[in-house]
Amino acid sequence: MLSITARNLASALRGSLVGTSSRVAAVRCLHGTEESAEEFDKRYEKYFSRDGIDGWEIRKGMNDLLGMDLVPSPKIIEAGLRATRRVNDIALAIRWLEGCKDKCGDQKATLYPYLLEKITPTLQELGIPTIEELGYDKPELALKSVYDA
Amino acid sequence: MALRLINSAVLRQLASQLPKSAQVGSVAGVHTLDKIGKREIVGYGWNGTACYADRVDYPMPAVRFREPNNEINALRTKEQGDWKKLSPEEIKALYRASFCQTIAEVQAGTGEWKLHLGVALLFSAAAIWVAVLMNLFVYDELPVTFDEEHQKAQLQRIIDLEMNPVTGLTSKWDYENKKWKN
Repeated sequence: MLSITARNLASALRGSLVGTSSRVAAVRCLHGTEESAEEFDKRYEKYFSRDGIDGWEIRKGMNDLLGMDLVPSPKIIEAGLRATRRVNDIALAIRWLEGCKDKCGDQKATLYPYLLEKITPTLQELGIPTIEELGYDKPELALKSVYDA
Repeated sequence: MALRLINSAVLRQLASQLPKSAQVGSVAGVHTLDKIGKREIVGYGWNGTACYADRVDYPMPAVRFREPNNEINALRTKEQGDWKKLSPEEIKALYRASFCQTIAEVQAGTGEWKLHLGVALLFSAAAIWVAVLMNLFVYDELPVTFDEEHQKAQLQRIIDLEMNPVTGLTSKWDYENKKWKN
């Protein structure tokens, strides 16, 4: 999990405000143990890699992930892409890539090339074009105004 | 008695209408199934409705954007095979069958702000003209007390009466040397 901003902030806080962070941890403990980033990654990797996962579940997982305050790690992205391959939905794969790119937010210049570099082998193996290859990094079509229709 | 009669008549009428109106909205209507045609439901929509909208925070909507036709079905069959054999045009066609807009298109500016700014400026201009014309044609001349001589006299009066000497205007006036304190 590359929740850059959140993570940096959390580690900064942990360094400077020891008392506060322990109090926060105490509160968090009420909701069970805190999941580490690796466990989170593994959980979602496992979710997407499950045999017999269907499109509904893939979309659910992807929508959930893209609604969180984090950038999915390359491993999760790859697992998601393989899941779309298993349900034969290339449109979903491209949408997933777009969603992950969008999650990079204002760090697109640094983070997105890194993600792309990591997932390129999978993209090539599955034959999925990148967003740039399709020209979907820029608006392709304009919606007609409802007043002109 | 009469009231009760009317009441029961109304009730009877309502009861006779109830089954009819219950059948107007079918079960399918409740779940918007009658609105999506032959579109495939592929995910969970907002509040469980089978609706389509392009949203960046929820990129995979519940239904595919287009109804399947022969062309799309042929592409779907081809999609089952190796994706490397799909041409970019075919991939785009498949994408547009599932989704209306790409995320880049969702985020593209509409240029609507120009319209809003223009309208805001129009109203501001109208307001300024109203103020100018009111001053020219409606309002009387300013009272004579607004000229400099009267204002000075007013200030002198405030000082002479020692109005609000602790925190106010005359607290800044030096009464011994007859000038403003620094």
